[in-house]
Formats: sequence, C-alpha cells, structure tokens
Amino acid sequence: MNRGKRIGRLGGLAAVAVAATPFACLWVVQVANAPDPLTARAVLDIAIWTAVLGTPTMLAAWLLWRAWWRHAGPGLSGMDGPAWVLSATGAMLPADRREWGAAMAAELAQVAGGAARWRFGAGCARAAVFPGGNRAAVLVAGALAVAAVATAALVTAAALPAGRVFALTFAGLLGGLAVLAAARWRRLGWTAPGPALTGLALAGVTVCLGLTIYYLAEHPSYDRVDRTVAVSLPPVTAVILAVTLAGCLALALRPPRWLLPDRKARWFGIAMAVALVGGFLLDARLVQPGLDRGSQGMMGYLFNGPLLVILPGSALAAVAGRSLRSGLWACAWAVALAAPLLVTAWLAEAPHWDRVGRGAVLDGAGPMGVGANLGDAVWWPLIFLTLWALPLGVLGAAAGSWRARRRRARQPAELAPSA
Amino acid sequence: MASLRRPSRQTTAVVLALAEEPSAWRYGYELCQRLDLEAGSLYPVLMRLADRGLLETAWDTDAPADRLPRHLYRLTGPGRALAGRLAAAPPGRPMPARSAGRIGRRPRLEGT
Repeated sequence: MNRGKRIGRLGGLAAVAVAATPFACLWVVQVANAPDPLTARAVLDIAIWTAVLGTPTMLAAWLLWRAWWRHAGPGLSGMDGPAWVLSATGAMLPADRREWGAAMAAELAQVAGGAARWRFGAGCARAAVFPGGNRAAVLVAGALAVAAVATAALVTAAALPAGRVFALTFAGLLGGLAVLAAARWRRLGWTAPGPALTGLALAGVTVCLGLTIYYLAEHPSYDRVDRTVAVSLPPVTAVILAVTLAGCLALALRPPRWLLPDRKARWFGIAMAVALVGGFLLDARLVQPGLDRGSQGMMGYLFNGPLLVILPGSALAAVAGRSLRSGLWACAWAVALAAPLLVTAWLAEAPHWDRVGRGAVLDGAGPMGVGANLGDAVWWPLIFLTLWALPLGVLGAAAGSWRARRRRARQPAELAPSA
Repeated sequence: MASLRRPSRQTTAVVLALAEEPSAWRYGYELCQRLDLEAGSLYPVLMRLADRGLLETAWDTDAPADRLPRHLYRLTGPGRALAGRLAAAPPGRPMPARSAGRIGRRPRLEGT
C-alpha cells in the first residue's frame, strides 16, 4: 500500500476515533454519575442510546475525511509537516493574495533541514493569516476592543452582575474579531453572504442577545427541585453562548471565502433554518398543549426536527448543486442561522409555558421558575441541536451527492471513443 | 520640503537590501537569511511594498520542471527613489518627501 493510501486509511480511523471519544466519555459520565447503582440492562440501554446518537457523528467524520482526502490527498501525501501547515494557512489568504501563498510554498521547497523548514513554514503561516493589514485600523480596533471590554465590566458590575461572564466574553470576542478583521482588511477584501442571510442572522443574534439580557436581569437565578438557588447562566454556559453568538455574527458579516460562492446552498440553508424554527413554534404552540402532562416538552422536537428538516434538506441541496459541498454548505448555513433563532424561540416560549403551568420547555418538568430555561436554551437548542444536526447534514449531503458522483465517475468511460 | 514618517525598521532594511543591486531579482528566503528576518515579518513587508507599487514581482520562468517556480522581487522606480531617501535620512529623523513613491499612495503599474 502506498503512503497516500495508508495515510488516508489511518486518517479515516483517526477521524472516527475522535468523533467517538465524546460519546464514550458521555457514556462513562452517565454511568458513573447515576444516583443509584445501575443494573447491567440499564448500562446496556445507555450504551445503545449513546451509540444511536454517536453513529451519525462517526459516519459523518469518516465521510468528511474521505471526501477531503480524495480531493487533497494526492497533493498532501508527499508533503512534510511545515508544507502541510503552509498549505492549510495559504488557503486562508484572500483571493487577490493567493499568489503570495504559492510564492511562500515555492520558497519553502528551497529550505533544507527540519528545524529551518519548521521556522520558515511557521513564519509563512503567520504571514498568511495576518497578511499585512492596515496598522492604524488594527490599533483603532484594538483600542475599541479594550474599551468595549472595560465598558462591559463596568456596566455588568453596576447593573447586571449575573451577566458578567457572558458580557465580558462576548465583548472580548467581538473585539478580537474586529482586530482580526482589521489585520486582514483590504480594500477589495469585504465579502458578505447577501442581505437575506445577513439580515436573518443579525436579527437572530440581536433578539437572542436582548432576551438573554432580559433573563439575566429578571431571572438571574431559579429554584431547583430541592429549593437551593441555582444560577441561570453559569460561567461555562455563558462562555458557550457568547462564543456561539459571536461566531454567528462573524459568519453573517464576514464569512470565510469558501462558504460564499454557492448561492443555492445559501438559500437552502435559509429555508432549512426557517423550517426548523417554524416547526419548533408550531410544535410548542399547537402540538404540546394537546399531549399528556408527562409527555410534554420540546426534547423530542430537538431529536426529530433535524431528522425531518436538515437530513432531507441537505440531501436536496446536494442534488441541486450536484456536489457534496453544496449539501454541506447548506447544512452549515442552516445550523448557523437556526441556532440563535431557536434559542430566541425557546426563551420567548418559556414565560408562556410557565404562566400556563407547563413547567420547563425542555421536558415539561417543574415548576423551577423561568430562569431555568436560559441554561437549557444553551445546552439543548444550541449545543445538542448543533451536534445532532451537523452529522445528519453530512449524511444527507453524502446521500444527495451520490448520484452526481456516480455520474462523474462514469463520464470518462462514456466519453471514451468506442472501439 | 514636506517630510514623511519613516517606514518601520524592517521595511527600511528590506528596501535598502533590495536597493543594493537594484536591477537584480531576489528570492524571499534569500532576503530572510540575509536580513535575519522571520518569514512572518518579511512577507507582510513585501506584500505592502508590492501593494504600494514600490516592489516588482515576477515568477522564475527558468525553474526546472520538477521544482516549483519561485517568486522574485526587485524595486520599481518609486521603490528605488524611496531607498535613496531612506539612505539619505539618518534613522530617527523624518524623510524628505518627493512626489514619486509617496508611502501610502499606490502608483498604477501594469502586471506584477
């Protein structure tokens, strides 16, 4: 077996192992933290459910690796570490700077010796990520970032102590993104994904921010069942929410270049996000009130919604775009748009559920108070949905592009002159 | 005569190194070694100089078939003028300005 094939197979195994690790950890944590000793049957049940949840992720990791390696493997298998690093970072250069990436790669080929190659490669990688932007703009962005973090610290100390971690993280991340954008800014470098997508993402992030601040001001803590006071947005949850919202803003305002060209994928992404959020609202308002009290809660929708929307939607996007990439990009846009909108819908629904005595939005359990929904909104419609929907999108895209790949594979034979 | 802010120490070193033999084409790695500069510092300087029309770039067309063609660099006319003014002005003092090669204004050039 040649080196390229060997790396391809090992990389596929490594991708599956990396994807399986969090699920194995989840199984261990669930078994170890069970309040009562578990029977062998219960341990097996947890293992089966964990495997059901983890299988799409592992399959998706393997499919992604295979697709990427098929495309990039022939070029990369002959490269050493510094050349890999430079190849990866060179792809981040703006289109009108691409020749500089090629220039650095060609120079690296002249450098002999492991240490010297690593030094030169790492330096080139730094130049590719920060290819000499406007220094004054970087300084101004840096100063504004420091001012934003200081203001967030002062305001939260005075008026919103429960939102301190969230506000500081969000302001710091926005400042960092602004500095990065200034460091990479060029006159021709601005790229936007279109008004519909940008508008939807900005609306989702803005309303989500507003509702988060409302919850932190009005419901900074809640009573657990055992009546000890719990914090609505603990530090880890606050950091996750801040990172997600800042990431969605960055995607809406300045997405990576490779996400932009596929217009169809963007529209499929928007349609899937709207369908996912619309389905959530319909389920919460129309279906849930008719259910028995013990079976109420939106957890089922978080499991079924992506199966009904993201899986077929990504497949259709791949069919329409005749490529795996179209399906993947559509899924990525859908999840990025839907995440803040679903958190918003979750937080907007929670007071209504509380008023009519239906308990927490997640599972109808309660009453614990409205504040409990803030942490749930981060862990379930944000983290769980993203981790569940993305692999389903990959599987859908792979299924949708299967026919196109077969057609492409057959084409050379069909085009060959008949004997 | 108006004066201009002096470019950074690294930019100055690159411009002066390229000006030593103005007609000769130089390689990036060669400049790194000669000036003891990291590639992460050199390439942003080269990109900025090229953006401002002070640096001419070309691909090495004589490269053997089994080797990637390398990028070559030399100063343009405005770049040489800048080098002259940098050499004339002692470090720490503002440079005398001329209309050609003003830093921050990009003259129009054909090709790379």
